[in-house]
Amino acid sequence: MNLNPMEQFAVKPILGMDKPLLTIAGHPIYFTNQALLMVIVAIASALFLTLAVKPNRLVPTRGQSMAEMSYEFVANMIHSATGEDGLKFFPFIFTLFIFVLCSNFFGMVPGSFTVTSQIAVTFALACLVILLVIVTGFMKHGIGFLKLFVPHAPWYLLILLVPIELISFFTRPISLSVRLFANMLAGHTMLAVFGGFVVALGTAGSLAPLAIAPMLLIVAIMLLELLVAFLQAYVFAILTCIYLNEALHLHDHH
Amino acid sequence: MAAPDPDRLNDLGKRLDQFQTKQAAGQRRRAPSQSQIGFRFATELFAGVVGGGGIGWGLDWLCGHFGFHTRPVLMIVFFVLGTAAGIRNVMRAAKEINAEIAAGGRENGKESGS
Repeated sequence: MNLNPMEQFAVKPILGMDKPLLTIAGHPIYFTNQALLMVIVAIASALFLTLAVKPNRLVPTRGQSMAEMSYEFVANMIHSATGEDGLKFFPFIFTLFIFVLCSNFFGMVPGSFTVTSQIAVTFALACLVILLVIVTGFMKHGIGFLKLFVPHAPWYLLILLVPIELISFFTRPISLSVRLFANMLAGHTMLAVFGGFVVALGTAGSLAPLAIAPMLLIVAIMLLELLVAFLQAYVFAILTCIYLNEALHLHDHH
Repeated sequence: MAAPDPDRLNDLGKRLDQFQTKQAAGQRRRAPSQSQIGFRFATELFAGVVGGGGIGWGLDWLCGHFGFHTRPVLMIVFFVLGTAAGIRNVMRAAKEINAEIAAGGRENGKESGS
């Protein structure tokens, strides 16, 4: 058994797919365990959400109720963070939220793979969000969107403040992606480390009964991780809303 | 499936409304936990410092490409600016969290009042 706690994050081609799918500019593209999990997450969430609301009953079934609750949850979140005109972005934010949420939860299944523990995935999602913010800002306000980077201050301070605001804006994808990635990475590493303790103690002869202690700890951490899985998806979505709100309404923050 | 009895449905709707208002009144929207706030601040600062330094490094590289030997001046300058941006990020995050908590309190007040 491999006890390396980082082993679970290794991206590798899934069994039977050792040959690259295609080659782009000399780089072989593999179908990896990560790609597989992303496909599973996308299909499972789409199937669940469409099938659950299919019966369309007045008194909802459990599944329909879950789908409707997540809809209402996201709609309320967008409404409270960005106001009425933010609801145009509902499809995007809902998809983002559900994808991150399902990735986190699928990652909690023992033996599976956590898509959101890869910075490549979270950074791509965060860049998508920032691109949307920039495009929205320029479409809504034209060149006036640049006022976002000019705080109220005397001109001699602006020389210093405008670069700071610019860096602050363009490092948002980093903080957004690192937060999600680091949370998932830390949680899953912790689980694996305590799992290693169980194995090490369990095979230590007379010390074997002591293995129950890290075992109980794992259960507690697992519960915490379920909470974190939801919370991080929520944070990702709400920060998207907050950034969009700035692009839509050009808050002058000072 | 037979058509549901309208009286029963209305009754159910009324009971659900009552239940929901009761729940909303009893439930306070909780502030994010301390560790979450701490983690948020840490990543904001980290992003500013690393992002700023990275931008400076990239600009140095670009300038070197065009024959200007600025390395490592731009990286140092942008590292300092990035740190300032990181602190700015943390201040903004604190403001957002405060606003969120305040909004939660207002909402609760409104709902329990009705």
